[in-house]
Amino acid sequence: MEFRSRVAYCGLLMMVLVAFACAPTAATKPDPASSGTGSASAKTSDTARSGDGQGGGTKESDATSSSLKALQEGKPPITPASSPLKDAFFDFDRYDLSGDARAVLRANADWLKNNPSARVEIEGHCDERGTNEYNLALGAKRAQAARDYLVSLGIAPDRLSTTSYGEEIPVCQGHSEDCWRQNRRARFVIVERRATS
Amino acid sequence: MKFLLLVLSLSFGFHLDLALAQFKGEIVGSGGQKFPIAVSPLRNTGSATADAGRFSTGIADSIVHDLELSGWFRVIDRSSYIESPQQSGITLGTFDLKDWSTLGAEGLVKGGFSVQGDEIVVELRLFDVYQGKERIAKRYTGGVGQFRRIAHKFVDEIINQFTGIPGVFNTQIAYVSNSGGRFKEIYYSHLDGSEKRQVTDNRTINLSPSWGVNGRTILYSSFQDRAQTLYLRDLPSGKDLRFNPPGAGRFLGGKLSPDGQMVVATYESGGNSNLYLLDRSGKVLRRLTEEPGIEVSPAWSPDGKQIVYVSDRSGSPQVFVLDVQSGKSRRVTYNGSYNTSPEWSPKGDRIVYTGRVGSKFAIFTIPVEGGDPRKLTSEAFDSEDPTWSPDGRFIAFSSNRAGKYHLYVMQASGENQRRLTGSGGDDTKPSWSPRLVD
Repeated sequence: MEFRSRVAYCGLLMMVLVAFACAPTAATKPDPASSGTGSASAKTSDTARSGDGQGGGTKESDATSSSLKALQEGKPPITPASSPLKDAFFDFDRYDLSGDARAVLRANADWLKNNPSARVEIEGHCDERGTNEYNLALGAKRAQAARDYLVSLGIAPDRLSTTSYGEEIPVCQGHSEDCWRQNRRARFVIVERRATS
Repeated sequence: MKFLLLVLSLSFGFHLDLALAQFKGEIVGSGGQKFPIAVSPLRNTGSATADAGRFSTGIADSIVHDLELSGWFRVIDRSSYIESPQQSGITLGTFDLKDWSTLGAEGLVKGGFSVQGDEIVVELRLFDVYQGKERIAKRYTGGVGQFRRIAHKFVDEIINQFTGIPGVFNTQIAYVSNSGGRFKEIYYSHLDGSEKRQVTDNRTINLSPSWGVNGRTILYSSFQDRAQTLYLRDLPSGKDLRFNPPGAGRFLGGKLSPDGQMVVATYESGGNSNLYLLDRSGKVLRRLTEEPGIEVSPAWSPDGKQIVYVSDRSGSPQVFVLDVQSGKSRRVTYNGSYNTSPEWSPKGDRIVYTGRVGSKFAIFTIPVEGGDPRKLTSEAFDSEDPTWSPDGRFIAFSSNRAGKYHLYVMQASGENQRRLTGSGGDDTKPSWSPRLVD
């Protein structure tokens, strides 16, 4: 009879938690993706030049390619340390948001509020365990949970799209929990950002 | 006791009527004896050709591969054979049966071939060594590049002789592999790895291949167009039909119905994935589930009236069965907290699926009405993505027991687990084709 908390219920719960958990970013756990593989962030300057077709006026310094594009270009699907939008992480086979994940999303929401012309695609990812199709659906749930929370924080829904790569484009290639937790993530790709004066 | 064993071993031998009565569909039960058989390299009955060795041993090798894969035969090692295949005859009376009975062979496969241009003519025979009788004699003509297929067809005949149901070796396995690098592309080949073909080459992620009824189409999902959707590949023409999603969401996977006229697909929108009934052009006919959670991995019952799938509505992924007509679902699995990727046996009686055991994944089967699951693979490693052979007597799956993911085949009981020829990369998501027409 255990029922997983659904996104709809999460929303209510979050409002409560946000109210008293306001020491946000300090409580955020270090981003394993960027700390573990920081060297790759130096390469992000290629991203804007190679032309996403949707990259618009994205600044080279904080550009994050979609994971699919990174795969096609032979780059690791890493969120650069310089990116203003950080990854949110999940537990195995879960798509409800932990306190850490909510703290990351609040910081992302703050940035989105300060950059009102930016549009973002949220990618849901999973670790390699379990079957591909289920993980594609689970990744979609994770992206949607992140999106719903951002909307609850006041970000316009039409600025946020979602996609899922399931377990197909891991940021960490190993077969241990240390890798798996880095791969269970919602990742934010700025798809449009007109220069703000 | 000894006498009883002897009677049994004879009865699944060449006393065909008896064999059929006792072993219909299953030659040997667990603990049963494997049938000892010898497979001679083929004699070149045509003019001398540089490729003669390749055909002579290649066809024999493929026959041996299939017989061993079936789990029902013990193939006597070729190095012990007495007669010279290029000197002895291939019809009764033109070779000495004692050369084979001495080795303990009860069955014997002999044959000859001749190459004419791009064509090869192959004659294959099955003999009962003890009774001195010929049981099968077949002549095949084909392109020299398809000589292994001839071997598979003949083994299907041998298995028909023993069980009353043809074998499943003239079939193909479609699968996903990253052998070409970091991308996941779809391939298919015979079970022995021969006649391998690459289906997709779009340098993205391609997943979940499944065969159409005639073995001429493969339905798969792909990120080739950035957003994931389904594609129906017509193999003879190489053309893809793209399924346009009905809204802003994505098709995550799907399967063609047993009559080939419909597709059941997973459509994800707003984070919710549900099952949809489509026609074979991808147009939505009907929505099948209305759930807020995850509904994925649908597969048809053999009569096309029910669909087995995965739902997390109870809090964890479990196997459910949906009645297409009424739209009603019932839960099948209750053991374990993670049961996925089900497929319905072509015999109709059981469902195979992947279940989590501790921190590993194993293959299980369970009666379609529910009940006690039967674990078929060890949880010392991961085994996933099971797919039935067209006769329901075998299951192919992927496993990382040798490091990378490779494809394996086992009997539906879990016995005789054997690795198929690998691509060098991770090979996953096998789908077993129907029997090939030619």
